[in-house]
Amino acid sequence: MNTPHLSIHGLHAGYGRARVLFDIDLTIDTGTIACVMGRNGVGKTTLLNTIAGLLTPTAGTITHNGTDITRHPPHTRTRNGLAYAPQGHATFAPLTVADNLHLAHRATRRGGPELIDAALDRFPRLQPLLHRRAGLLSGGQAQQLAIARALVTDPTLLILDEPTEGIQPSIVAEIEQAVTDIAAQGITVLLVEQYLDLALRLADTVTVIDAGRIVHSGDRADLTDDTAHALMAI
Amino acid sequence: MDALVNQLPTGLAIGAVLLLAALGLNFTFGQMGVINMAHGEFIMVGAYTAYVLHAWAGLDPTWSLIAALPLAFTLTGTLGWLLELGLIRHFYGRPLDTLLLTFGIGMILQQAARDTFGAPNVDVPAPGWLTDGTTLPGGIRLHHSRLFILALALVCVLAIAHYLHRTHQGRQMRAVIHNRDLAGVSGINTRKVDATTFFIGSGLAGVAGVALTLIGPTGPTLGANYIVDAFLVVVIGGLGRLRGTVLAAFALGILNATAQAWTDASLAKLLVFAAIIAFLQARPQGLFTVKTRALT
Repeated sequence: MNTPHLSIHGLHAGYGRARVLFDIDLTIDTGTIACVMGRNGVGKTTLLNTIAGLLTPTAGTITHNGTDITRHPPHTRTRNGLAYAPQGHATFAPLTVADNLHLAHRATRRGGPELIDAALDRFPRLQPLLHRRAGLLSGGQAQQLAIARALVTDPTLLILDEPTEGIQPSIVAEIEQAVTDIAAQGITVLLVEQYLDLALRLADTVTVIDAGRIVHSGDRADLTDDTAHALMAI
Repeated sequence: MDALVNQLPTGLAIGAVLLLAALGLNFTFGQMGVINMAHGEFIMVGAYTAYVLHAWAGLDPTWSLIAALPLAFTLTGTLGWLLELGLIRHFYGRPLDTLLLTFGIGMILQQAARDTFGAPNVDVPAPGWLTDGTTLPGGIRLHHSRLFILALALVCVLAIAHYLHRTHQGRQMRAVIHNRDLAGVSGINTRKVDATTFFIGSGLAGVAGVALTLIGPTGPTLGANYIVDAFLVVVIGGLGRLRGTVLAAFALGILNATAQAWTDASLAKLLVFAAIIAFLQARPQGLFTVKTRALT
């Protein structure tokens, strides 16, 4: 249970001259839900992009399942079990829902067709929409597709960037349930979430970032709701 | 109206040539956003492939045409693949540098053609069954070579549509074009897809070159004559939209033929350019765009 699944050490990252993250240390244990929080623009998405390989860090290392993946391209990380659903319910708009799932499943080559069935069982709303273009889905449907697309790559670590942003409450509840179930399956979850109550319900560990640095890191159980609210108000 | 009907076959024929020249650009420019100025020279290499098969290898016109199509596709495709791998890959996000770089490559290829085949144009004889023509009722004459180019263009369009929509590789290509980062985190090797896209786009230039030998002489600047029109077709069609490219090519072809029938060649060109400018003022995104509920 307590083997580190993902560990980040001394990570610095940014875009050109704009430095965003400073000396980030983060360890996530297998099968836990780690929640990264902080206000807009403090570097949460930059951190996730760096872990997924979309941004090359200027310093530091990222280790996934014991392998140093700091210099691996994104597709190699995904093929080794690191799945990422980026912010803004990103899907392949010109492709159908079915093609979105099949494409990621086949490109990753990590398991049989049962992965697609399992993802559709997880999000039954997608079933009748299989032949619709992803660009025509509502925000909530698209977010479910985005998570399903990540799940068909058979991840051991699932990274979600603000999965409830701008989504209607009924679907937020479904996504919350899905994240709980996914973690119960033994998949490690790294979640960036602005919706504090939801984050505190789901999280095993909480990390708070401000201005590119970690200002709090610890178990959810050790954090009172008042402290959490105070941290988020930084 | 009569004039328009009379010009329709000519317009379709011009459109088919434009379409063949633009199909490859639809991949490299339309889909990947790379301005490859050497694309015209890839067309020229395709044309000389047909010439070499006939004049050097001694194949008869029919066989040299049939053999030249796949050979030119492979040859110019490989050239494009090498160009992407060796140079263009290192200049993504730097369009001006890419433009100058590929322009230089184009000049090198032109000079190589001059050194190898001489500066004067050479002739690739068309097969006998394509030199004939059919006269339609009403006195409109259809050259068989034009019909062949029209058919070839349509076959290419169908093959591309099938590739993009029905094969895993084609869907990967569409995914990378739509959202490169998302494609990467979906397990797609985007670098490999770029190389394939460039191979196919450049290969189609070779096919266009072979087709052009049927309707005119072959020279080192053959491709340069078509490149501007080909870029215009892709822009008007809406970047990377196959349907748009097809529609734009035929619209430009028919417009060109009609304008030429009423005026002369240079004035026709001027009218066509004026029409394009007016169209792009009204619809800068081209004929077709991707449908999505999102605002961007």
